[in-house]
Amino acid sequence: MNADMVRAEEPVFSMNARAAERAVAVSLRAVSKSYGAFPAVAGVDLDIAPGEMVSLLGPSGCGKTTTLRMIAGLEEADAGEITIAGRRINETPPWRRNIGMVFQNYALFPHKTVAENIAYGLVMRKVKREEIARRVAAVMAQVHLSGLEHRRPAQLSGGQSQRVAIARAIITRPDVLLFDEPLAALDRKLREHMQVEIRQLQREVGITTIFVTHDQEEALTLSDRVVVMEAGRIVQVGRPAEVYERPVNRFVSDFIGVTNAVRGVVTTGPDGCKSLRIGAGAIVPLPLHADPPAGQKLEMVLRPEKIVVNGATPEGWVSIEGSVAHVVYMGAVTYYHVDIGADAPLVAMIPNEQTFGASGAIPIGAPIRLGWHRDSAMVFVPPDP
Amino acid sequence: MRANILTIYVIGVLLFLAAPVLIVIPSAFGQEATLAFPPIGFTLKWFSNILAHPELISAFGNSVAIALMATAVSLVVGTMTVLALRRYEFPGREALRMLFLAPLVCPAIVLATAVAMVLSPLGLIRTFTGLVVAHTLVTLPYIVRTVGASLAGLDVALEEAALTLGANPWQRFRTITLPLLGSGLLVGATFSLIISFDEFTLSLFIVGNGMMTLPLEMFNYVEFSIDPTIAAVSTILVLITTAAILLIEKLGGLGRQFGQSASGGAR
Repeated sequence: MNADMVRAEEPVFSMNARAAERAVAVSLRAVSKSYGAFPAVAGVDLDIAPGEMVSLLGPSGCGKTTTLRMIAGLEEADAGEITIAGRRINETPPWRRNIGMVFQNYALFPHKTVAENIAYGLVMRKVKREEIARRVAAVMAQVHLSGLEHRRPAQLSGGQSQRVAIARAIITRPDVLLFDEPLAALDRKLREHMQVEIRQLQREVGITTIFVTHDQEEALTLSDRVVVMEAGRIVQVGRPAEVYERPVNRFVSDFIGVTNAVRGVVTTGPDGCKSLRIGAGAIVPLPLHADPPAGQKLEMVLRPEKIVVNGATPEGWVSIEGSVAHVVYMGAVTYYHVDIGADAPLVAMIPNEQTFGASGAIPIGAPIRLGWHRDSAMVFVPPDP
Repeated sequence: MRANILTIYVIGVLLFLAAPVLIVIPSAFGQEATLAFPPIGFTLKWFSNILAHPELISAFGNSVAIALMATAVSLVVGTMTVLALRRYEFPGREALRMLFLAPLVCPAIVLATAVAMVLSPLGLIRTFTGLVVAHTLVTLPYIVRTVGASLAGLDVALEEAALTLGANPWQRFRTITLPLLGSGLLVGATFSLIISFDEFTLSLFIVGNGMMTLPLEMFNYVEFSIDPTIAAVSTILVLITTAAILLIEKLGGLGRQFGQSASGGAR
């Protein structure tokens, strides 16, 4: 009962009580898979709500694709349980799982026309000819492909191929839609365009979707929740803002977004307040939520855009002096690499709000003052002592 | 200067390769009753003379039937073999792959002796079945090679996509794998037909009274007679073979099938 209420509060979904009772579309319980001695997936637990779009994010070899392929039935789990719509499907072959999958290189059937490709799932399900024609026309209109019915896959552009692959996967109304890095082959502009299109389509159709990617921006843009994986395990699950703003460890903070990391030692000031002594002597107050023992070596992690340069530092803000070591002008923003006497420079990202910002850049070697809210920083125990 | 020498050399090699054909075909039209080159006069009587030799006609029929059967068996077994070699990982897979190509490199006479030793106690010497079994042994590697090349060019994701879309393994094979292997199957089948039709050494150990193949019947014929009838038969065979090769070239290309990892179906 309690659990239902918690779920019902989730902002993304509005569902009635009956739907809330089985509010898990896909669930993985202690799912593992090894290739020989190599554990590709080592005990993954994950619940995905109906209609939710979840991305599995991680570097290559982290087990995200293997996880997806186990849900599809293209790989067999060594241990654990996978359920779709409440039914255990470990033993169900892929062709009876009612899934849709979009492959990395689209995997369109080269000997079939666009319409035949899209109709394939319905033909296999022995749907009546007239209904196939009707549904193919409808889905082709939905993904803006009308008029290309008789083309062959070889005659399509990357974006069109992508749409055919998606249309083919959703026409059977699958219980879950799986994407295996489908945008990796597209150029940046088209990729960003397809991200928006996929997200809109997914909202429209309301289909539960799992999206594998190694591109953190893509994961943040597309998903209701991001699942960060490393070495076969889930490291963090959360909304995009959560994994970006509050990464649970250095791996996540490094993998998602640009990050500063400087090492220091915890010291206790005369007033009993704890702070971090960095390098030659800069003293940085710790975030309020952290209370490590004095003498501990810690790493402070701070996003470049959280830092302001030569600005006001009201109550609760940290202010330290440094000198400009390097300037990178990026058009919309300028990155200042600032030497604060630590083991690594702090990088501050400053938006170029005014046109004269470029010419008025602070020169290399000039003194500079950096400020940030003390809670913007995070501290982690360094990976190696 | 160097270019001229090279040109002469190339023409020489081409002439050498084409010589048998260039000699046999004109000989078939010579009026003299002995095989002679260059032929004298022009006649078609040696072609009509073929009809006067029922043993040549029946041997031709046998050879066609054997080639068709051996090819059919090779296509089924070869395609299954290639799919198994691709789909399942097991120890010794590479060794097995080599084994299926072994008859290509094994000296024909060794193969023939071994086959005769196996077929003889089974009572398959001088039988149609025995010849089909023996011919399949040499045609199978061609199918494995050509269909294997086609399959290597076929993206695994296509077959996986079929599965996720609701196709069971048989439907997947029928609607995706088989059509995409098409050109490999066709080229392999053509090769297989030619190889079987032309097979001599293996057949020599198996044929006998009442069950002859065309190459051996022709060999028998020239032992006793050297009139140009055999040249006429040869001319017909050359025409059939050339037509077959042209057909393959048109449909897929020999170079692609026997060159680098060919993609027969992925077009």
